[in-house]
Amino acid sequence: MPLSAAARLLLRRSPPSLLPRRHSFFRRSISQPAAKTKDAAAVAPPSELPPFDYVPPPYTGPSGDEILAKRREYLSPSIMHLYKKPVNVVNGKMQYLFDDKGRRYLDAFGGIATVCCGHCHPDVVAAIVEQTKKLQHSTVLYLNHSIADFAEALASKLPGNLKVAFFTNSGTEANELAILIAKMYTGCQDVISLRNAYHGNASGTMGSTAQSIWKFSVVQSGVHHAINPDPYRGIFGSDGEKYSRDVQDIINFGTSGNVAAFVAEAIQGVGGIVEMAPGYLPLAYEMVRKAGGLCIADEVQAGFARTGSHFWGFETHGVVPDIVTVAKGIGNGIPLGAVVTTPEIAKALTKRNYFNTFGGNPVCTAAGLAVLRVIEKEKLQENAHKVGSHLKQRLNSLKDKYELIGDVRGKGLMLGVEFVTDRELKTPAKDETLHLLEQLKDLGVLVGKGGYYGNVFRITPALCFTKEDADFLVDAMDYTLSRI
Amino acid sequence: MAMFLARSLLQRRSPQLIRWKSSFPQAALKNDVSARAAAELELPPFDYSPAPYSGPSGDEILAKRREFLNPSLLHLYKNPVNVVEGKKQYLFDEKGRRYLDAFGGIATVCCGHCHPDVVDAIINQTKRLQHSTVLYLNHAIADFAQALASKLPGNLKVVFFTNSGTEANELAIMIARLYAGCHDIISLRNAYHGNAAGTMGATAQSIWKFNVVQSGVHHVVNPDPYRGIFGSDGEKYARDVQDVINFGTSGNVAAFISEAIQGVGGIVELAPGYLPAAYSMVKKAGGLCIADEVQAGFGRTGSHFWGFESHGVVPDIVTMAKGIGNGIPLGAVVTTPEIAEVLTRRCYFNTFGGNPVCTAAGLAVLKVIEKEKLQENALLVGSYLKERLTALKDKYELIGDVRGRGLMLGVELVTDRELKTPAKAETLHVMDQMKELGVLIGKGGYYGNVFRITPPLCFTKEDADFLADAMDLTLSRM
Repeated sequence: MPLSAAARLLLRRSPPSLLPRRHSFFRRSISQPAAKTKDAAAVAPPSELPPFDYVPPPYTGPSGDEILAKRREYLSPSIMHLYKKPVNVVNGKMQYLFDDKGRRYLDAFGGIATVCCGHCHPDVVAAIVEQTKKLQHSTVLYLNHSIADFAEALASKLPGNLKVAFFTNSGTEANELAILIAKMYTGCQDVISLRNAYHGNASGTMGSTAQSIWKFSVVQSGVHHAINPDPYRGIFGSDGEKYSRDVQDIINFGTSGNVAAFVAEAIQGVGGIVEMAPGYLPLAYEMVRKAGGLCIADEVQAGFARTGSHFWGFETHGVVPDIVTVAKGIGNGIPLGAVVTTPEIAKALTKRNYFNTFGGNPVCTAAGLAVLRVIEKEKLQENAHKVGSHLKQRLNSLKDKYELIGDVRGKGLMLGVEFVTDRELKTPAKDETLHLLEQLKDLGVLVGKGGYYGNVFRITPALCFTKEDADFLVDAMDYTLSRI
Repeated sequence: MAMFLARSLLQRRSPQLIRWKSSFPQAALKNDVSARAAAELELPPFDYSPAPYSGPSGDEILAKRREFLNPSLLHLYKNPVNVVEGKKQYLFDEKGRRYLDAFGGIATVCCGHCHPDVVDAIINQTKRLQHSTVLYLNHAIADFAQALASKLPGNLKVVFFTNSGTEANELAIMIARLYAGCHDIISLRNAYHGNAAGTMGATAQSIWKFNVVQSGVHHVVNPDPYRGIFGSDGEKYARDVQDVINFGTSGNVAAFISEAIQGVGGIVELAPGYLPAAYSMVKKAGGLCIADEVQAGFGRTGSHFWGFESHGVVPDIVTMAKGIGNGIPLGAVVTTPEIAEVLTRRCYFNTFGGNPVCTAAGLAVLKVIEKEKLQENALLVGSYLKERLTALKDKYELIGDVRGRGLMLGVELVTDRELKTPAKAETLHVMDQMKELGVLIGKGGYYGNVFRITPPLCFTKEDADFLADAMDLTLSRM
């Protein structure tokens, strides 16, 4: 295909993988052109990454190949990585990552919606460094102000009587605990979660998780998976009420009539940024409560200002849960999770001893407090709303341009782009998704992948993502899609 | 005896009036010598002064904890200690008072609080990159996995990183169930393995088990030399494992899991000969042997790096946490490549697991343990301390048993040596008194009557003496 001057320039600067002849493999496996119109072929490659005043220190550590070899030998054979040639990420600063050659990448995945303030945000780093020098660990058996200060600050971000916190080390631990609390509180064993959900990988949470690829063939009991109120792939479109009837059916026909809990993400993350059909959650909550159950809001990905319009994902549905679980963004990447509930519900755990050795340690809670302050000081929620809306608009324009894009969805800086080879049949475009992911990486943009069929881009960057970053991301996608 | 104590104390320490002398008016009147001993009881010298503390007081923190933290949150002591700084084997409260930390944050702070090498590693990595996930490459996880694997015997060389011991044990149990194609696992009564759905099943003390469904776990008779019915006869206890397999399962099991020395259970060592016999039975039944090294691992037992090594066995899966990162949230599961293969059947992922900062800390810890010969120190000081505690047992009826290895020691208090009646109230009292004297120890055991002494492995002979002297003094005044 004819190359514009700009494209030639880009090719000279970029690694050889962009050369046309490398594309022929992918062309053979891709059935239809991405673009709706012939004009698409003339898209210019994106300009430089937005300027950024930081140069990483030189890297003298092991190369990507050396690391890969060690991973193959010493880390699980099941350890995953992205890209045929994985990126050796050595430094991070705000919304950018740097590889071993000092090349800058736009991190539009955020370590899976985890780095919310930005990589190595100075305020968070300062809090961690200061506390690490004083006291790393002692357990809650002794007093320390860090856990108390953070618990208080966290509680202040939650509505109603949600003001008692338990600290854990991960989202899985938080969801395990939330489920335990609900079972203890209600005296019931049945839990309802949504198909396509992801809640964790331990014994209890694997049961609530509802995608076959994440479920191992081990006994998981007491969980019922309700029809997913998926506006794009679901049978009832955006009619939340129709989907919610399945919750009542499960209660009526699958349980004693009483349940322990209903657990759901406000927007499914691993499931491919699937928003719940409007009206679903309030109805489901009502049914569950009538059955004596508690409503658990898994805010591991959607929480901490990511959705832009609200601090918590559940707020966008106009509900107040009984238990909220958080992790990922809570500490900008430090291992930390939390369960927040009401004093009354929390009492259920006084029936026996419950203890978490690392949970609530001074360093992680100090990081958590710093994160809350940064979100407020830098108005990250407002930024997520503004930039996220702009980004979504631009992605929608791409959807108008390219047949390959079946759906653009999400809120704030939790966005998804689903690729299909047939808009009617919604046939998942898995290969194309992988190809695009690779191409974007070569252009300097890191996005994530998800969805049951592995055909959804997950765009969950640090909340300091700018309009220029958004434009670069979309321009890169535009360019890449134009060349399929 | 008190005179001997006082003389030996005077020889070792420079006389100095200590401010807490005034809080024991009865003791002073009751026993002149013991009062003088209390006055002379001084922590070993330590060249570090904490920064002045201007944060919330203990009372303010307690009030916030009551309001914003879970009501089941435990704390030690009637007047809990507000721990503000830590340095090596010492902790400092809000008033700058130094305490000997003989509990180590529950056998977790192995190199010592804020060990400079570990702190440096954490700070350097935190400034470069905190988190990206294993979806991208980073050398920290690879370097640490390699170093960790080198500490394990046999073909135990594939590592999974988690964020805690509970997560590690959950994963180990799942791996075993997948590998064996069985659901049944066997754990020991009095064990503690974690607090999530699966691990709570393996955990075997009623106080730690909630009334929720826990399936597929069988708890075998605990080979407890002190309280067990067969004394120290490991082989007799092991028969229960075969009985459980024969009569409680299909004859095949997924796994047998145990700690080398039970931590939460009160520093209970497994009766000699038990583990090899149990391992053999489980392997014949197609099961995997999981060694929970969360507390006993990383040089703590002194004689060996891993607790299981002192039993002469090689497990199929090893789990670790606590000391692995000197207190940073980190856990790991190590197994063979063949066993690890099972996780390729589906996707398994841990977002924070293996992050650059925690693995950098882990690598620093291994280097410190080696450089400072902490395992050898644990053996040396631990043996010495055990001797001194055993001497205390000879002196006081209240001490029913002294046990453990290296710097994982337990002292069980009983009101009757024949009946072994747990001395719960006394245990709490002694713990409290020792805190007043400047020593922090832990508590455990099913009956809550066992002191758990699991300090950082840089604990010195002088620290051990101070601890034993403080215990001696406290016991003498009861």
